[in-house]
Amino acid sequence: MQDAPDTTDKSRRDISRYAVPLGIIAFCVWAYWLSTQFERVPPILKRGMQPSDFPQLVIGLIIMLSVWLLFRDESEAPERLTKMVQMTMGLLIGFLLISQVDLFLALGLFAASLTALWGERRVLAIVLVGLIAPIAVFFLFDGIFEVRFPRGLLTNLWYG
Amino acid sequence: MEAALNGLMALADPHLLALIFAATLGGVLVGALPGLNATTGVALLLPFTITMDPVPAIAILTTIYCAATFAGAITAILINTPGTSASATTCLDGYPLAQRGEAGRALGMAAVSSTIGGIISVVCLMAAAPLMARAAYNFAPPEYFALTVFGLSMLATIGDGSPIKNILSGAFGVVIATVGIDLLTSVERFTFGMNELSEGIPFVPVMIGVFGISELLVQADNLHVERKPVIMKAIMLPSREDYKRVWKTILRSSGIGTFIGILPAEGATVASMIGYNEAKRWSKNPEEFGKGSLEGIAGSEAANNSATGGAMVPTLALGIPGSPTAAVILAGLMVHGLRPGPTMFTEQADFAFAIFWSMMLVNVIFFFIGLWGAKIFARVTLIPIQILWPIVFIFSIVGAYALEQSMMDVWIAIGSGILGFFMRRHGFSVVPMAIGLILGGMLETRLGQSMVMLDEKWWLMLTRPLSLFFFVLTVLALFGPMVWGRLFKQRSPLKSTGE
Repeated sequence: MQDAPDTTDKSRRDISRYAVPLGIIAFCVWAYWLSTQFERVPPILKRGMQPSDFPQLVIGLIIMLSVWLLFRDESEAPERLTKMVQMTMGLLIGFLLISQVDLFLALGLFAASLTALWGERRVLAIVLVGLIAPIAVFFLFDGIFEVRFPRGLLTNLWYG
Repeated sequence: MEAALNGLMALADPHLLALIFAATLGGVLVGALPGLNATTGVALLLPFTITMDPVPAIAILTTIYCAATFAGAITAILINTPGTSASATTCLDGYPLAQRGEAGRALGMAAVSSTIGGIISVVCLMAAAPLMARAAYNFAPPEYFALTVFGLSMLATIGDGSPIKNILSGAFGVVIATVGIDLLTSVERFTFGMNELSEGIPFVPVMIGVFGISELLVQADNLHVERKPVIMKAIMLPSREDYKRVWKTILRSSGIGTFIGILPAEGATVASMIGYNEAKRWSKNPEEFGKGSLEGIAGSEAANNSATGGAMVPTLALGIPGSPTAAVILAGLMVHGLRPGPTMFTEQADFAFAIFWSMMLVNVIFFFIGLWGAKIFARVTLIPIQILWPIVFIFSIVGAYALEQSMMDVWIAIGSGILGFFMRRHGFSVVPMAIGLILGGMLETRLGQSMVMLDEKWWLMLTRPLSLFFFVLTVLALFGPMVWGRLFKQRSPLKSTGE
């Protein structure tokens, strides 16, 4: 009975140990390739370096350090993502989607849902967070800081 | 001298005084609330200051920095949860004292030592920053480049993570800083044809994301943590006998904290750990440490608060942040069109001294707030996180949007938050990434200028004494701890919690 979790832990540790540096290296290879597509400027205009030189230098350093990490990193694998974190991330994605319709609608829905998801059951508290707080923040920024928010389903009611 | 007086006169403005007082209350609140710290508080507040003049705007940010650093002690003492990581060592002795019914004495000691530490560090800031700026006035691009590389190398020692991971995180920040139009050649890089990215990745939404939104995801795992306050008797200032026991500790820790703060990238957390360790090492009663020693509280609190003034020295004099929070303040200075560096003390000396005096003032204000408002702030810590964090999220998003009034910035904030969360899970501190992003542009510009100056022979930088000095410091910063650790295999009894 003891072996199963150990094996799982080991495979998770291996995934964490190799996947992270390999992911970084893959990202760097892609970024390096992108940097080779930058325009090159004539020697008279290049002011010491071509536009791609500096990013390539830093990307090279990252690759070097990631390779080192691949072989020498002995840090433990993080705990599995809890359901609560996964659902909170899901809400964040939902927020981004709804914000295309209206930023404050998305903020209100996200805040109210998060409050409820995290265990708040008092209706007044959920209303406070999901309704009163976004409205107060809207008028604070709109009135005092003169920020114009993107037009949407709800903000159009105010902006006309 | 004239600039110092002009700076002091600027504080005579009642509007500014009211703002500083309000920001002190806000800073104490931020420091006392679970999960929020000085860096997050300053990042969240930065967009609010955009419409203000530079003096009140930056004074508010530095006030939040000082007050939040102090306020971490309130929760550390009363509920055994450090409000900021810089107060982690304060828990060790503050909470045992609180459990014995001496919370007031512990808070009194924290307030007194924080105030003294803070004031000493601001005096050092006033003296050292102009001197450092004068020394740096004649730096040419190679020296600046070498200094910036040294500043970035110090990121290796931030927090308790692996130095390699810290450097990786910092280098990633530097790569992000290359997004946008190259200032030297006007060539677009990594913009994918999006106009919004042509000016680069904006600092503020990234800061809000990595410090605010990533913390929201971390908090999703902390819902079960129960916070119970201890019953606090009337506030009791430390007695004359207590002062006699701790004055040396306060002075020593203030010196340590200021010095650590001046080192690029090192912040209040490291300062408090060293301050605490040194207090224990020099104490006549080391056995009391961890069981309710006033010296422990004084050692930790004087050090972490003095690091705030120290951290502002390289930030203002060289444009190299002295701590993670100072990095966000540096971003604030840039957003307001100010140029931190040697010229600040010739062209904007009045501004610089107004900031110094405001920092001095906040140290006095939070002394009183710390003593008489602690009970109220202790109650604030009991706000359920399921109410607190959704509200923080609303402010984060609106703050990210407000600066450029662009939805792209909201996406950047959320993306940075999720990235920051996964980085933290895998042991990568987000602080180096933020600092790399801020310093990346400067690093590239200085390298480009050096290459022009040295006729594209980069190795000539090593023939210039000052650049060579900074490169040697860089090598020491990167490899010194490793060599030192192997030579003297000993471990500190305290482990950093990162900032």
